[in-house]
Parts: sequence; structure tokens; C-alpha cells
Amino acid sequence: MNKRLLTLWVLLLVGVLLAACGGTAAEPTAAPETTEVDTAVQEPAATEPAAEAPVAEAPAADVVQLQLMGWASSDAENIRLQEMIDNFNAANSDVQANLLLVPDYDTKLQTSLAGGAPPDVFYIDSFKLPDFVAANAIAPLGDKLENVDDFYPNLREAFTLDGTFYCPPKDFSTLALEYNKDMFDAAGLEYPTADWTWDDLRAAAEALTDSDNGVYGMVLSADMARWIAFLYQADGAVTNADFTAMTLDSPAAQEAMDFYVGLVQDGYAAQPADLDSGWPGEAFGKQQAAMSMEGNWIISYLNDQFPDVNFGVTELPAGPGGDATMSFTVCYGVPANAAHMDASVRLVNFLTGPDGMKAWTDLGLAMPTRASLRDGWLEKYPDLEPFLNGADYAYPWQFRPGFQDVLDTVNSGLQEAFTGLATTEQVLQNAQEVGTEVLNR
Amino acid sequence: MTVATGVRGEDRQNAIAGWLFMTPTLLIFSVFIIIPIIAAVYFSMTNWNGISPPAEANFIGLDNYKAILTEPGIRQTDFFTALKNTTYFALGVVPMQTILSLLLAVVVNQSLLRFKSFFRTTYYFPSITSSVAISLMFLFFYQKSGLVNQVLGTLTFGAWEPIAWMADPRGLIHIVLSWFGLTIQTAPDFLTQTDLFGVTLWSWISGPSVALTGIMIMNTWTTIGTMMIIFLAALQDIPNFVYEASQIDGASPWTQFRRITLPMLRPTMFFVVTLGLIGTYQVFDQIYVMSSGGPAKTTLTIAYLVYRNGFNNSQMGLGAAIAIVLFIIIFALTMIQRRITGSEADN
Repeated sequence: MNKRLLTLWVLLLVGVLLAACGGTAAEPTAAPETTEVDTAVQEPAATEPAAEAPVAEAPAADVVQLQLMGWASSDAENIRLQEMIDNFNAANSDVQANLLLVPDYDTKLQTSLAGGAPPDVFYIDSFKLPDFVAANAIAPLGDKLENVDDFYPNLREAFTLDGTFYCPPKDFSTLALEYNKDMFDAAGLEYPTADWTWDDLRAAAEALTDSDNGVYGMVLSADMARWIAFLYQADGAVTNADFTAMTLDSPAAQEAMDFYVGLVQDGYAAQPADLDSGWPGEAFGKQQAAMSMEGNWIISYLNDQFPDVNFGVTELPAGPGGDATMSFTVCYGVPANAAHMDASVRLVNFLTGPDGMKAWTDLGLAMPTRASLRDGWLEKYPDLEPFLNGADYAYPWQFRPGFQDVLDTVNSGLQEAFTGLATTEQVLQNAQEVGTEVLNR
Repeated sequence: MTVATGVRGEDRQNAIAGWLFMTPTLLIFSVFIIIPIIAAVYFSMTNWNGISPPAEANFIGLDNYKAILTEPGIRQTDFFTALKNTTYFALGVVPMQTILSLLLAVVVNQSLLRFKSFFRTTYYFPSITSSVAISLMFLFFYQKSGLVNQVLGTLTFGAWEPIAWMADPRGLIHIVLSWFGLTIQTAPDFLTQTDLFGVTLWSWISGPSVALTGIMIMNTWTTIGTMMIIFLAALQDIPNFVYEASQIDGASPWTQFRRITLPMLRPTMFFVVTLGLIGTYQVFDQIYVMSSGGPAKTTLTIAYLVYRNGFNNSQMGLGAAIAIVLFIIIFALTMIQRRITGSEADN
């Protein structure tokens, strides 16, 4: 029995390990992949018409093969990215880039890095950057990039650690306030404006709440990535400027926490799950909440899933410390031991350079990270201006290695505070202690 | 296994043939089982982050084990929170699944029952359905306006207040205590202030959260089919003459069940409970799909903590250490359970 037990347990453990490691094998990806293969194969054939080799033969040896790995987004974005890769391949006869969009991205990327065969270019979320830098996994590209100063400062900061700028932001989103115009009209309230304060927000949320009918003024999730905007609006911060000490024990943090949790505890805001929704955008679309504070990703979702909702967008309200919002961004990283550094940097520059950035963000789904593209983009998408305005006063979503523990602690604490299982003081004290431990590691 | 030590040529030939036949299995066994075990033990004593190549990891001795077991901090708190959750999970699921599956097995074993194969198939069906698909389905059931709340509402004539099951971190025992006015605000200090392995006594006695209970119910539902099949096989192994003999002695069906069926099922019972313990202590996929450890870490299980440390927190070494500790826990529990069930069960 012992042996059998041991075997069973080990089998399952190994199964988990295998499932994690087995990911390096190429997986079938989104539809664009097939068209890509065609062009990749035709390209060398066209440049060498004399060759009698069958079409299926591998490209010439001097052509560098690059792999760009990312996660799949909307179909429109996947197709546009593939088009851009095709354009890059057409313009560079010596480099062929292949796009690989994978599910379970984080696990796959981590195992391929640890396995010593990472993709040549890959997405890195700003929150994950410190862990990759701590592991010496990525190459600093700062001085190899085109016109670095054109990137918004807070986005450069999102990919800068200890003064080194690692990778260029491919696009970004900021948080803004979405409001349901019909519900505001029905309640006889003025639409929110960029001049709103916390008091305005709370008063409107109270007036819009009709809990008997399951309708709330606002939808808030137990998520540090949303609460932190209020923290900055209260002039608070998670850590001091040089990341040596946590500052969540400040009165500002307490004020922000009390305000955020208070909205839920007083019944003016509800969590998505209480509104039968998986995320705030869904609750907002179902018109069970009159306001939400999501990023620009919510726009295409609402247009797609809830085309009848009559909504507007404005900037987040100002707190006692002024305006603040969060920017969420992803960059194109290159591994530290890149096999084809020059070609990889060329691809990254192609994708994030002024032209590539324009082609990519002209979809209107994510925003251009280059300030020079601002006016042209706003001409096409004037409705999204509140999101882009946020770039001027947004804070980057990036801390120190191991900060996942702090994020988990705050999220879990917010959940408890929402339900009345913990006080806001306890939540902050816990987060302060955990953060101090992480910073001292 | 008898080791072939014979000197005669025939014996030797047999031995060689035996080893040859076993070679593929042995190879696969060592490549996929022995080596990973050794690797896991080794990595549990390194600070490997899971990102850089494993060769760059530094050997740090037992530091990972100290971090989760003895040193106060978030790692210890997380581990013992996970241990608490997993233990409540096992305490709920193992008895439920054992009793229910035995009941089902006895029912479908009745010779008088019609449509026997229909029932057997129905009961077994959840066990062969994708766990991820079932989890997604239950996510809808557990919504605030979902099936579970509606059924409970109908059964209680509207007295049931709908709850968002998967977002509710309140512990069941805490809920019961709150009926008697005992909450975190009113609980005595020795409960809320005493820290045992980074978790307060008050948290230790929380019971499974509503969210975890939801997953427990689902887990029970998906596993009783397999357990039923095992019990059914054992039931059909009990010779009929035993029952006939007892009938002549005037035993009632209940006495037969208690005095004959249960004792004869003892080895099977041991097997089922062991499988149940192993399965519940390493529950992962349903947590991954349904709750990712939330709300408020009340569905954080040990196996999920291993994954989270390895792939979200860049602490693969720490994750490996937790996996090893999990192995020791399961091993110890099985040993204890074997003592209780009696050694004659082990055959």
C-alpha cells in the first residue's frame, strides 16, 4: 500500500510538473497563424526564383527566424498584429518573424525562460517586470530604442527599474469613470465631469442606488489595482520613493481605504459577484450599476456585448490630494541571452516606433504610448479622450520583486473589509507588514 | 517479488526476459517519476525563482521549510491558511463522498432495482466529465440569481436570502457563532489575539468559507461516481451464501448491512478513504477554475499555493518545499488512517 500510495502521489505531482513543462511544444494558435505560414514560405521562394526546391523547404540559412510570443486578445487586435508582422517580414528580407499567441501565457513564458529557449520577443506586464529583472531574464533595451523621450514618462517609469529602462510599452490603458447616462437622467442628476471630487462621487452613488431592485450607484471590486487610484488621489503611496519602506500606514492610505470600503459598506456600491457578474464591466453593461471605474478595454466590450447601454466616460474624480489614475501597460521584452539581439531589437523598434505604434493603435482599442501620436489619435477617437488625458497624471503599476504577496494581501483584505470580516485599519496594517517583509527579502 | 538468484540457465534466462519486459516501464518510471522526485527535493532546498535556468539557483538548505513552518511572516501565514482550508475541505468531502457513494452502491446493487445500468451510468457520469467544464457550470449555479439560490428559495418559501456563493468569504462556523452574537468584534481577545502559526485562533475555527463549501459540494458530486464503482465491485464480491445464512438466522436487512456488508467492505473502505484523502489534499483544478484561491484566501489550498508560488510569485523553490510538505502530510494521514481502519485491511 505504501508503494502504491507513493506512486499515486508522485504520478499526480509529475503530472502537474509535466503539464507545466510540456508547454514548450508549439501549440496551434489563433487563425492568423495559418496565413502567416503561407507568407513566410512564399517570401524566400519569391526572392530566389531560380531555386528548384519545393515550396515547403525551410527558408535560406541566412534568414534569421524570430518568434514573438504573446497572449491572444480580441480578434481585431490579433489580426492587426499579424498584419504588422507580415509588413515587417516584407520589409526585412533577412529576418522572418513568427507570431505565437498562446493560452496560459505566464506559465508558458516562465517555463521557456527557465528552459533556456525563450522566444526572441515577448510581452511583459509592468507588474511582472521586477521579477524578470531580479532573475536577470531580460535585456535592457533603453539605449537601442527609437526616440525614447516620446514615450509618456509614467509609461517609461513602468518599465524602468533602478534607473534602467528595459523595454518599450506596446500600448497602454488608464482608469476612468464610466457612467450610465440613462440612469443619471432618470435620477435627475448632472453627468459626472472631470472636476468631480470624492464627495460628488459618493453623493451621486447614493442617489443612484436602489438596492431593493438590485441597482447600485457603483460597481467596485476587491482589487488593489482599483483602490490604489484612490490611494494616489488622497496623496498617499504604497512605498516611499526609493522603495525602502512601506507607507500604507499613512493617514492618506487610511482615508482612501475608508472611502473605498465605505462605498460598499454603506450600500452605495456593490461587488461584481453581488450583481451576477464576473467583472465590473459586465455589471455596468447589465445596468445594475450606474458607474464603474475601468480602463478603456471596457469600451469595446460594452459596444460588443451591450450595444444598447447609453454611457459616457469622464476622468476619475479628484481626491483630497488631487487627480490620479493608474496606467496599465505591457512592453515588448527581449531575453537577456537573446540569440538574435539585433534582429529582435529591429522588430521591437518596428512595432513601437512612431509608424508601427500608429498602425497598431489606429484600431482604437489600446492607446498610443507616444505623446507625438496623441493629437492624431484623438481626432479619430474623441470619445476616448478621458482615458488618454489620464496619461498626464497616471501612476505606473509596478513595484518591487515579490510584490504579488502585497497585492494578494490587499485584495484579500479588501474582500474581508467589504464583508465586515476585518476593519480597514487591520487591512492596512497587514499590508504594511507584508510589504515590509517583501521589501526586506 | 522474488529475486532471481538461481544458477540454472533456465532461471537466468527467465530473469533476463523478466528484466527485458520490465525495461520500458522502468525507464519511464525513472525518467518521469524518480528523477522528478529527486529534482523536487533538490529544488525545495534552493532559492530557484522558476524564471532563470535552474542551474543558477543557489542552495539554501532548509530555509524554505523554515519560512513556511517556523518563521513568522506571509509565507507561514499563507501556508497555514492553506493547510486550514484544505483540512476543512477534506473533513467535509471525505466523509460525505464515502457515505454517499456507499449508499449509491448499495442502492444500485439491489437485485430488485429496475433500470440498474441507467442509474449506474447516471451516477458515474460526473466522474468522467471534464472537471473544468463542470466547474464552469457550477460557477453559473452558484451565482446570486443562479440555480442553487433559486432552489433554496423555493424550498424555504422565499425565506432564503440569495448569496453570491463564490464571493462569500464568511466561514460556516463563524456564521453559526454569529447567530449567538459572537463575531470578530465581540469575540474574546484570546481568540482574536492568539497567533498560532501566523493564523489567529479565531481564523482557525472559521470553518470552510461559503465559497469553499460550494466547491466541496461540487467536488463530492464529481467524485462519488468513482467511489461508487469501487464499492459496487466490492459488494458484488461478497458471496450470496453469507446473506442467505444470516437470513435463516433471522437477521433483518439492517442487521445484515451492519454485521455483514460493512465488515466485509472494510478493505474497500480503507481504499476509498485513502483515495479521498489524497484527492482532497491536492485539490487544484477546481480551485484554479472557480476561485483562484479567493475570496479573501479562503479557498487557497496547499496545491494551489504550490502553483501560485511557482508561477505567480517567482518562488519555485518555496513551492517545491510546500509540495514536499504536502506529500509528508498526506503520507502521515494515510498511516494514521491505516492504524484506525486496522491492519487487516491492508491486503
